[in-house]
Amino acid sequence: MREMIEEVLNAAVSRGASFADLRVGEGEATSVSVEDGRADKIASSKFSGAGLRVLVDGAWGFAPTNMVSKQELLRCLDDALGMARTAVGNVTDPGMVAEVEPVEASVEAKARIMPSEVPLEDRVQAIFEMERVARERDLDRIVNTTASYGDSLSKQIIANTFGTYIEQGGVRCAARVTATAQDGEVRQFATKSRARPCGYELMADLDPEGFAGVAADKALALLEAEPAPAGVFDVIIDPRVCGLLVHEAFGHNAEADAVWAGESILAGKEGQPVASELVSIADDPTREGLNGSFTYDHEGVPAVRHQIVKDGILLGYLHSLETAARMGAQPNGAARAMNHQYEPIVRMSNTFIEPGDATLEEMIEDTKHGLLLEGGYWGYVFTARGQFTCNIENAYAIENGKIGQHYRNASISGLTLETLSKVDAVGSDLSFDLGGMCGKGGQSMPVDAGGPHLRIREVVVGGHQHL
Amino acid sequence: MSELTDFAEAAVEAARAAGAESADAYCSASQETSVEVENSSINYCAVIRDQGLSVRAFHRGGMGFASVQKLDLEEARDCARRAVAMAKATHPDPDFVALPNPSEAEPVPDLFDDKLAGLEAGVAVEWCARGIEEARAVADDAVVQGGVSLSSGEYALASSTGILVSNRATSVSIGFFVIINREGEVGSYFEEDMARQLSDFEPEDIGDKAAREALRQLGARSVHTARMPIILAPLATMGFVGSIIGAADAESVQRNRSFLVGKEGERIASEVLTIREEPLWPAGLQSSPWDGEGVAKQPRALIENGVLTTYLHNSYTANKAGVSNTAHATRRGYSSSVGIGASNLRVQLGDKTEAELISEVDEGLYLSYAQLAPNSVTGEVSATVDFGFKIENGELTHPLSTTMIGSDAFELLGGIDAISSDYREEPGILLPSLRISSVQVASEE
Repeated sequence: MREMIEEVLNAAVSRGASFADLRVGEGEATSVSVEDGRADKIASSKFSGAGLRVLVDGAWGFAPTNMVSKQELLRCLDDALGMARTAVGNVTDPGMVAEVEPVEASVEAKARIMPSEVPLEDRVQAIFEMERVARERDLDRIVNTTASYGDSLSKQIIANTFGTYIEQGGVRCAARVTATAQDGEVRQFATKSRARPCGYELMADLDPEGFAGVAADKALALLEAEPAPAGVFDVIIDPRVCGLLVHEAFGHNAEADAVWAGESILAGKEGQPVASELVSIADDPTREGLNGSFTYDHEGVPAVRHQIVKDGILLGYLHSLETAARMGAQPNGAARAMNHQYEPIVRMSNTFIEPGDATLEEMIEDTKHGLLLEGGYWGYVFTARGQFTCNIENAYAIENGKIGQHYRNASISGLTLETLSKVDAVGSDLSFDLGGMCGKGGQSMPVDAGGPHLRIREVVVGGHQHL
Repeated sequence: MSELTDFAEAAVEAARAAGAESADAYCSASQETSVEVENSSINYCAVIRDQGLSVRAFHRGGMGFASVQKLDLEEARDCARRAVAMAKATHPDPDFVALPNPSEAEPVPDLFDDKLAGLEAGVAVEWCARGIEEARAVADDAVVQGGVSLSSGEYALASSTGILVSNRATSVSIGFFVIINREGEVGSYFEEDMARQLSDFEPEDIGDKAAREALRQLGARSVHTARMPIILAPLATMGFVGSIIGAADAESVQRNRSFLVGKEGERIASEVLTIREEPLWPAGLQSSPWDGEGVAKQPRALIENGVLTTYLHNSYTANKAGVSNTAHATRRGYSSSVGIGASNLRVQLGDKTEAELISEVDEGLYLSYAQLAPNSVTGEVSATVDFGFKIENGELTHPLSTTMIGSDAFELLGGIDAISSDYREEPGILLPSLRISSVQVASEE
């Protein structure tokens, strides 16, 4: 395989490419879906292929294939070179890559229990048990339960014309339970999920009561909640909302491809304040066991911790080889691709706000009129405007330092820099519980995000009633 | 084409031989040429060839699914055997009755265009270059992102009940997102066009339109928190009606996880709302003679004068409910199993122009684009107006910033008091503007 890959890369150089890289991958995934007491859908998918990228006179050409053979890779080379040469006359901002030392490495997939060593029936039974716990929590009011389990094992080779050649194995495991509860016309749901680059230990270590039972309890509790109020509130957000906020509102703006493309509100702000001085933000793919953790990015650059903001000051961005070259920065291993059919682009890994010194109790006691916001499933941002939206699972009124009414159906929105400047208390806790997939440029990548509890003054809440 | 049906048939045969009681197999092969624009320059050109196959196998009603990213007879048979092994590990599902039988489908003209399939990548590069020029002609500080995609593909579907269908299609799309940053104020917007036939495709002026709208978005401000009318422009209408129809998915309804449970045949919207589905529209973006299980599709009203006329069924949900199959099974490609969804939606037009609808509003919001999709389980909405304008005394005034809508599906549907007579049309799809009489708006003032 290595000989074939090097032959293709050498051919790319001899045919005019100033840089080329090739990613070859294969793997297999299994998933089990349980709904309303039956494991009625089980799936197995096999994936394989290669993606070849060339840079010719400042123009990028890319050609992937699902068939890995020398003949097919040489056809991809023809395609990629042809595409680059078609574009070259219209490239006004030539592509480039930062030169890096070649890396030779082999990374084994790490798992305490390889999923493939667990009989399929046992995996089915385990997720079936999760679903049962949620379903039986309230046989009258829990009207639907779905649970899913998934695992995957993959191997990837990353090679480029600098001489990098990395073989990287990966194993991933995920579980998810959603419970829907109904009372009269009100129907609510709650989800618990966990996803990690690990083996079957993820499932083996999950406590059904603390996982599936909690999802059902949350759905039931939401039946009693009132529609959220609309307007401007001082909010205390929990680590999940904090993770959503830092990922969506801030993190996407710190991806250097957005900065270079004129799409980020953080462009030109290095060394300047971009948040309250209480806020420090990092993105750390080296943090063990989180959903966005990895060893080498998909351009073969070693993963490193990125300190993006320290005490409110912007220190730098997340880079690919290309954005590092364009912006005169060091590549920092933040380029990943969903699979061989996509080119690597700048992505976050495990993004978080660092803990401060306040406690949740202090923050609540010190809030006269506000909302405590807990959990959330989705968010998005228009980076150019810096306007974000984060969905919120549960909201609770805070009146004169006391927690009150439970609310449902809220989202928050705001302008990133303005919102982060209004952070006036940062908790001493830190947790990551947002492991999921992030979409960007049509590519979905595993990420994680978290942080402490923190308080933000004057945030717009999109509720259904005006109190 | 014949080769694809061979793979699908071989997979079905192998699934039956391995013990599947029923099975179907789907395979596809496609080629896409993609040109990306970043920072007002051509950035990437790619040619992406993709092919693969998947098999659904049923054992005592439980479904096993397997896929492979190759088209090869041995791989197809191996994929079928894996699907059967998966099916045998499922729990029995007594609600599964049978896969559908073959049905006579009307052909849909013009889904494939030889001219489009034969286009060189250089044409896509020229369209991108022109889009950049157009945007820069409107504002020389415009930053342009976006690109062009040309694709052609074919697929085949075979089943153990004797279905064997195959088809091919082309598509082309162009889209630009333009950003104008002036003294800390950012105006941005997008415009796009897509088609299956080159003759339906209008790549001209996309960069121009995006840039002009981006200029209008400069100077966005918040509004005050209050109830007021909102007008959904066609792109906001698209997301809203698409999500309402999506919640009529019979599987979600039967499983009690849709806000439309118990609403079939009921009034769910103001009587001014009628939505038809036209799956056989010539050259329609979502057109196809068959659904994802090979069942012939038919045009029909999905919402008629505010009444939800039907849930969207595939063979499983129709058999479970004991009703006719509405042929709404979907496949998003070889790597995913069968889902449920609608095709081309056409919203019946009203009799006043959008300008007249705006002129009748004293204070309200105009939503150029917003993800106003209700949550499919709860029906609740808490959304940001991503791009829009304040309406004052019948006129659009300033663009909006940090402005949100809090509501639920039935309040929004029931509150539609007018639909515009002018519209945005994409092949097969018709999108007017909708006015909703009163919703809760939250903002900074």
